[in-house]
Amino acid sequence: MQQLLTTTLSGLTLGFVYAAFALALVMIWRSTRIVNFAQAPMAMITAYVALVLIDAGYSYWIGFAAALLAGFLLGSLVEWLVIRRVDASNPINPVILTLGLFIVFHSLAALIFGSRFRSFPAPFGLRGFEVGDTTVALTGFGIFTILAVLVAVGGLVLLFRFTDVGLRMRASAFNPEVSRLLGVRVGRMLNLGWALAALVGSLSGLLIAGGGLVHPSYMDPVVVYGFVAAVLGGLDSPAGAVLGGLLLGLSLSFVSGYLGSELVAMAALVVLMAVLLVRPGGIFGGIAERRV
Amino acid sequence: MRSTIPDKLRRGPAAAVVVTLAACAALSACGAGEDREESADAARNTVGVTDDTIKVGGHFPLTGVAAPGYSEIPTGHQAYFDYVNANGGVNGRQIEWVVKDDAYNPTNTSSVTNELVLQDEIFGMVGGLGTPTHGAVIDFLNDEEVPDLFVSSGSRQWGETPEDYPSTFGWQPDYVIEGKVIGQYIAENLPNAKVGLFLQDDDLGADGEAGVRQFIDDQVVETVHYTPGNTDVAPQIAKLQAAGVDLVVGFNVPSYTALSQLVALKTGFSPQWIYSNVGSDPNLVGSLLANFSEGAVDGGAGMLDGVITTEYMPGADAPEDPWVQLWQKVWDEHGQDGELTNYRIYGMAEAYTFVQALQAAGEDLTREGIVAALEEVGADFEGPGFGPFRYSADSHLGLSGLQVVQLKGGAGEPLTPVLVTDLGDAEIEEDDSAAGDAPPESGIPEVDAVD
Repeated sequence: MQQLLTTTLSGLTLGFVYAAFALALVMIWRSTRIVNFAQAPMAMITAYVALVLIDAGYSYWIGFAAALLAGFLLGSLVEWLVIRRVDASNPINPVILTLGLFIVFHSLAALIFGSRFRSFPAPFGLRGFEVGDTTVALTGFGIFTILAVLVAVGGLVLLFRFTDVGLRMRASAFNPEVSRLLGVRVGRMLNLGWALAALVGSLSGLLIAGGGLVHPSYMDPVVVYGFVAAVLGGLDSPAGAVLGGLLLGLSLSFVSGYLGSELVAMAALVVLMAVLLVRPGGIFGGIAERRV
Repeated sequence: MRSTIPDKLRRGPAAAVVVTLAACAALSACGAGEDREESADAARNTVGVTDDTIKVGGHFPLTGVAAPGYSEIPTGHQAYFDYVNANGGVNGRQIEWVVKDDAYNPTNTSSVTNELVLQDEIFGMVGGLGTPTHGAVIDFLNDEEVPDLFVSSGSRQWGETPEDYPSTFGWQPDYVIEGKVIGQYIAENLPNAKVGLFLQDDDLGADGEAGVRQFIDDQVVETVHYTPGNTDVAPQIAKLQAAGVDLVVGFNVPSYTALSQLVALKTGFSPQWIYSNVGSDPNLVGSLLANFSEGAVDGGAGMLDGVITTEYMPGADAPEDPWVQLWQKVWDEHGQDGELTNYRIYGMAEAYTFVQALQAAGEDLTREGIVAALEEVGADFEGPGFGPFRYSADSHLGLSGLQVVQLKGGAGEPLTPVLVTDLGDAEIEEDDSAAGDAPPESGIPEVDAVD
């Protein structure tokens, strides 16, 4: 019974992190039709920014805020300095470019921050809550993880649905040319989209790091699982990304606990294959008619 | 002087003339004595050896997931080789030490080993680290007949079958005998424990499990494996907890000791922990855990208090030990930045054994010679190890003695005397005959050359 509970809860917590990461991928996909593989090392770099500040004696929350800000700036810079400059007439070009950035960020992080394992603090307890005489594998930090992702998702929904900026961002993504005619500064909106996506990516990086160990490649599995989660949800649907993340986190946790940890990566692949075979548009897909 | 002519020049007829001329010139110039001349003849045919240098190398994870701790090992070799060089080297030859980073990735290990053997032209490999990594190059090294001494890993494959790998020698106690010693300790002292095994998914886990199960097969109620790289071990620990395990035996690397402790904290799981020697370095694990908040982890080495593990030579926690005093002296004189750690001691101790092997091989240093010398007298080498080496024509396995200890404040307190054993059904015997060895005054071994 406790095993079921522990496996479920740790899968659910991880699932929320995958969901945040998948959301970041979906945001960039929707606006620029690019799968940003560099999202993982970008998040890793911002986690190191937080770690450097915390090690220098600042509080966890200052590190946390600085990391999110760094993520926002990094996303904006990457779009402005790199992505915008590449010939996007062939959509594969920018995708390959993000793979290149993946390697560059990795090497930079290893040079600047070193490549050993470092522990990353958590602002809340790492002991599970005690209910009666059993310990539930839900920690203060686990609850914070879930809440933080929910707040981020809620914030994005509000932004896109109910604000002017959100409307302009959606318009730029939907039809850049018409938007431009209507006076929307499309370039700026795409840039903002990248910045926001990188911020959400940083959040997932901080959440998975908290109370664990970080090293330059600690986010690499997350980009794979986040991508599977995004495809699972339809790659175009924010709600789908969140649901996909949760489903994937849970199923991988069960595979690891009941079948064997060596099967986790394969299980993710099987899920990906199954979705692509049965519902190529993803569970929440179905906007294929928008493809021009 | 003669020997500084590159090896390639010496092939071909023209090169032979050059060599002869150079040799004559050198002979007349420095008037070398008769006895020096003979050893020079043998050395001339040996890759990586000149009259006054011996070049050796090793592959280590200086970056990547396995780098914490392990990257310090070659700094220990360097310090001890510098110490020996400052005292005149071995048979007048200075030891050159070339370290290559393989990031614990077997693909990299293959390419850096190619570089070491073909480009740097090392005499031999010393201390190449890791089971999956070294496994990728063991065939190449043996095909090329490069001495592959003292692999830094406890897999049994380095020494169990010398007929397959005549050039390869293990060094530390293999995981099978470590498992046997731990298994016997549990059978005798904790016969009612419900044992769960937490195993890395490779030779480390498999060999350890084989040893443990020889004694407590009926006590093991659950076995879980983790895959290196997958840092979420909560499902594995939950499975052990569900099976009612109250004693966990872990054959894992240090970062997974930290991860398993964190998960146990999260799920309120508090069994007795036994970690194998490789996974239990209190300082390294403590520094990984030191940083966590809310006093959940009390920082430092105290985190692992009460954990049971094994030791096979004195470590940095025993500053009174004459061996550790030697290592401290060497490190103070020739070490790089940083403290003396167990990993650096490991490197120095391997380097010490290598110097013994060089001395045993004599002035006529050849690749065949050092292998033959190790098989003949390697088992008699006196060193920091609690037990003797098992080197012979039939076995290239390393140290044979271990002691079960319990960690308190970062230091190990002995729970058993030194126990010596071997693979298979070999008895486990108390034998501390090798544990009392003290290092020679000079800090440099004095092994007679075999003829």
